[in-house]
Amino acid sequence: MTTTAEETTRDGQAVKRPSLPARLGRLLLHDRVALLCLLLVVLVAWMQVLDRGGYLLGPYDAAYMAAALESFVPLCVLALAETLVILSGRGGIDLSVGAMVSLTGMAFGFMVGEWGWPLWPSLAAALAFGTALGAVNGFLVAVLGFPSLIATLATGYAYSSLALVSNDNAPISTKPIQDLHELTSMVDLPFGLPPVPEQFFTFLIPCVALVWLLLNRTAFGRRLYAVGTNETAARYAAVSVSGTRFRAFALAGLLSGAAAIVTVGQFASARPDAGTVGNGMALPAITIAVLGGVAITGGAGRVGGVVLAALLVVWLNAGILLYFEGSAGARFQLLALGLLLVASTSLNAPAGRRRRRRRGPAGRTAGRA
Amino acid sequence: MERETEGDERPLLRLAGVRRSYGGVQALRGVDFEVRAGEVHALVGENGAGKSTLIKIISGAEAADAGTVEMAGRVLPGGSTAAAFEAGIATVYQEPQLFGELPVAENIFLGRELRRRGLVDRAAQRRRAEELLRRLGLDPGLADVRVADLPVARRQLVSIAKAFAHEARLLILDEPSAILTDREIEVLFDVLRSLRAHGVGVVYISHRLDELTVISDRVTVLRDGLRVATRPTAELTIREIARLMVGHAPVGASRRRPVPDGPAVLEAAGLSRRGAFQDVSFQVRAGEVVALFGLVGSGTGAIARALYGIDPPDGGVLRVAGREVRPRTPADAVAAGVAMLPGDRKAQGVFASKSIGFNISVGHLPALSRARVWVDRARERAVASGFIDRLRIKAPGPATPVGTLSGGNQQKVVLARQLVQRPPVLVLEEPTQGVDVGAKDEIHDLVLGLADEGSAVLVASSDLPETIRLADRVLVVRGGRIAAEFPRGAAQADVLAAAAGDDAPRADEETGEER
Amino acid sequence: MTALARPLARRPAAGAIEGQEAVLIGVIALLWAALGLSVDTFFTASNLQNILATVAPVTIIGVGMTAVIVTAGIDVSVGSAMAVVMVIVARQLRDGGLAFAPAVGLALLIGALLGLVNGALVAYLRVHPIIITFGTLNLYRFVALEIFDGREVAGVPGTLGPLGGGAEGRTLGLPHSWVLAVALAALMWAYMRHVPTGRHLYAIGGDAEAARLAGVRVTRRLLGVYALTGLLAGLAACCVIGGGGLVAQSAGTGMELQVIAAVVIGGTSIQGGRGTVLGTVLGALLVGTVTSAVTLLGWPNELTSLFIGVFILVAVGSDLLRERRRRSL
Repeated sequence: MTTTAEETTRDGQAVKRPSLPARLGRLLLHDRVALLCLLLVVLVAWMQVLDRGGYLLGPYDAAYMAAALESFVPLCVLALAETLVILSGRGGIDLSVGAMVSLTGMAFGFMVGEWGWPLWPSLAAALAFGTALGAVNGFLVAVLGFPSLIATLATGYAYSSLALVSNDNAPISTKPIQDLHELTSMVDLPFGLPPVPEQFFTFLIPCVALVWLLLNRTAFGRRLYAVGTNETAARYAAVSVSGTRFRAFALAGLLSGAAAIVTVGQFASARPDAGTVGNGMALPAITIAVLGGVAITGGAGRVGGVVLAALLVVWLNAGILLYFEGSAGARFQLLALGLLLVASTSLNAPAGRRRRRRRGPAGRTAGRA
Repeated sequence: MERETEGDERPLLRLAGVRRSYGGVQALRGVDFEVRAGEVHALVGENGAGKSTLIKIISGAEAADAGTVEMAGRVLPGGSTAAAFEAGIATVYQEPQLFGELPVAENIFLGRELRRRGLVDRAAQRRRAEELLRRLGLDPGLADVRVADLPVARRQLVSIAKAFAHEARLLILDEPSAILTDREIEVLFDVLRSLRAHGVGVVYISHRLDELTVISDRVTVLRDGLRVATRPTAELTIREIARLMVGHAPVGASRRRPVPDGPAVLEAAGLSRRGAFQDVSFQVRAGEVVALFGLVGSGTGAIARALYGIDPPDGGVLRVAGREVRPRTPADAVAAGVAMLPGDRKAQGVFASKSIGFNISVGHLPALSRARVWVDRARERAVASGFIDRLRIKAPGPATPVGTLSGGNQQKVVLARQLVQRPPVLVLEEPTQGVDVGAKDEIHDLVLGLADEGSAVLVASSDLPETIRLADRVLVVRGGRIAAEFPRGAAQADVLAAAAGDDAPRADEETGEER
Repeated sequence: MTALARPLARRPAAGAIEGQEAVLIGVIALLWAALGLSVDTFFTASNLQNILATVAPVTIIGVGMTAVIVTAGIDVSVGSAMAVVMVIVARQLRDGGLAFAPAVGLALLIGALLGLVNGALVAYLRVHPIIITFGTLNLYRFVALEIFDGREVAGVPGTLGPLGGGAEGRTLGLPHSWVLAVALAALMWAYMRHVPTGRHLYAIGGDAEAARLAGVRVTRRLLGVYALTGLLAGLAACCVIGGGGLVAQSAGTGMELQVIAAVVIGGTSIQGGRGTVLGTVLGALLVGTVTSAVTLLGWPNELTSLFIGVFILVAVGSDLLRERRRRSL
């Protein structure tokens, strides 16, 4: 009955043709990419106004924005990792990405900085190492049936501990590691565009392209959306539910490995707490994924939204640093992140609430049966 | 329980001019409805007729837009489950509203705990629970069992016990028999009769008209949010009730050409699964439609799921086109040439938020991908468009989200998924459950068409007319065994009687029709 | 009929001590025995007192967190909430010369307010609590840092000493904070087991919508458990300030993970509907024992988290196994 009601509502609305502002409002509410684009434009315009008015500590210009992309790279890659896991549904979440960054970074540090491995094999080995860490999560969650929150809380503990213990709590910053800093040098662009960090091309674009292709063009992507949307139906459609979910976690490990390598390059040192210091990298990554429109219930979310959300957070943070003096900047970044998260979840709420009401009870009982 | 002392004419429950709309769609368009004390009042109507909305309003789960709900002469405030409860209205929902981690006794009293000095009086609760369970013909020892450890059918009885726990004057049962076995239904009916004798009013909602004629005193028919009729049940035949529900006479059996002779495509020999079904043997030839008919809980669904590798059998042999197969997962079954339309569309069939194209291609990703990796989106669209035309799915195009379609069209999309790679064997579980009449006919025609094109079709259904209409042969399943076989054109009454079975089968009973 | 005639797993209703708790007691006893044999200083009063005093804040917050997780929720903002309480109360103790009772009252009040914000967001927005409390984790941390204003609070007087880990905080050798934690846990245990609204928490965790239909006031209960958890975070903050001294800007960081670890090791299901406070007390004790053991054995401190991680996996894993076996019966 309710289905009929909804369906005709949609028909009714389609027939009515609401006014342009109303349609725009709906577009912004329902299309996260459009909303984020608008917010980005508003942010940049606002920062320009502040800049002109002399309220900023430095110029918020194209060169500054391009340089800020340095922190965009690991953050965006980890948000994409989180996206894959959250998409897989059943409360999928990965609290261990930060710890995986720390541990993989240390592994990479040992390979390049201590054991003197050549760069390329080390890169491959580090990525494989990250994938293996993610695969452990995947095994626990997809095969053994651990709740992902708990499994990744535990592995997060374990990985961060191993990272710290591996080199007696000390960073690895031998010569070969310091040389990696070149990876992060700025690349001059033609057409008068400002220089951009090299890793933008060497890491970010490949990672974004990989995830986008995976989600939108491959059979794996279809399976992932299917499993996240309706696990039982996916099973009936002959999709391997545990295999798909396992791959999502393993891929999150791979992407964390990539972020780890970038981080080592940026710091010119493999730090054992790179991904876990303070509140760690997992929280911002989850925040950005949710802000980017990835539904925490799984099955819905797009790469474009996540990338834009990461960009918004990074440029907002960069702006905050220019506005506030000293340590206040870092504080207000926390405020911004928290507000963005609560605000974006409230935006998701009306739709989520309706679905939950209808599904919740039945789903739960059936799941236990 | 006190006997209602008011005169017979004074109704226990009276609804007047109740309206309710959801976002512009009127689910109820001014419904009057009365229940007397001491009557079992059946409420029937097709899906979408407004039954569920009506009970939600009576039980206070939702408020009416207009109109009044009066209980024993007092008008109830809308949208308050507490007020409805205080007035003596108890509701048993279709899906048991129980809490798996809590024991049965606590479930029964949850929200209205028996207290002693402000604390939960567990001992008293257990005593009352045991008493109630005994009255329902259940093992009183269940009071201490965690609900998650109970089979689903018993959970339903627990939720009925829960409704009885509080001296209800009006009991609403929303499709209580949907998952009960026939024996459990008998228990339920006994309980209803005793309640009736005690002056309790019962609103009984069911699709199974045969049940209604047994238990109800009056029947109210809803259609499209309006009350079509309220009549004493004795004055109506099942056929007449059905006619009132659909607004036109139900269709008769289909005509089909005879099944071509040939070897069996699907063959089960001595198939068993512990706790679900035993020693099930049958054959389905190419072009043949065989129906497994049984009341819900008889094991038809379990047999279908076993063939598809969801709950694999633990004994017996399964052959597809003469080759022995052992599907452990749906992927195995698909590889062996078996496709299945799941019985619960919402939970097992559709990806509601995803497009028609997605919903169809998701079952055939290897076939629709290049190098098994890249989804061939042009082909995906072409396949989806093809099915939209062929199955007459009412949708703008392959990109339409399935959740926006009606139940029948959703079902066609799920059916389309099974047909992308023409399976030699098609298993359909409850193919038209929750589907409107028009779409039901279309789906039946499609199924028959598929058989005519050479598929071996096995339909597992608890819908008797559907079974009669589709099947070349009907296998009646009772208590997990094949109890009888009927040829095409069998009388409904015979099939139903075989499925209901008047004598309880013994565990060691041998089925009569060995081949 | 066979399906019906199948014998049921007959299991008595949840007893006072459930499987996980018995196992935990065994594991802790084993650990203590092993440590007693291998480290001379383990069974010294000061070491045991130290363990209990360290464990107390985790246990106190765990009492509330257990209730939150039983409702199928979670609160990851407790560490940040603690930081807010700590900086405000420490400032007031130092600059305002606040006495013991008003200081504790202030801490409880601030904590409860912060918890109430979480509860309101969770109950009214109906978004998954982990996301909401991730948000408030950041917000509260911001508030705390704003009040810190770039400087730690040094020279805090020992007004709250009776709650701290020092000599002042002990009677008959037992740390007050831990006794308080156990007393709170006992109260909460009784509440969740014997009071109707306490039983309702389990129902909410099992199926919130069904609970609502059964007449459970879901919104009110959610507000209650989150507010309680915040309040207890305030109390835990008092214990941590204790004998005074320094309150650093990193106060409370990572507390949420320790508390959640204690709760899940104690056998509370993260999916809601199942768990007891008793388990949480034991879980916290286990975590504290491991922390102390690593130090006493002279292993690197960082190894502690590895052990906590492994314990979480083992505890939850054995619970999963038990459930699976039970279901297949």
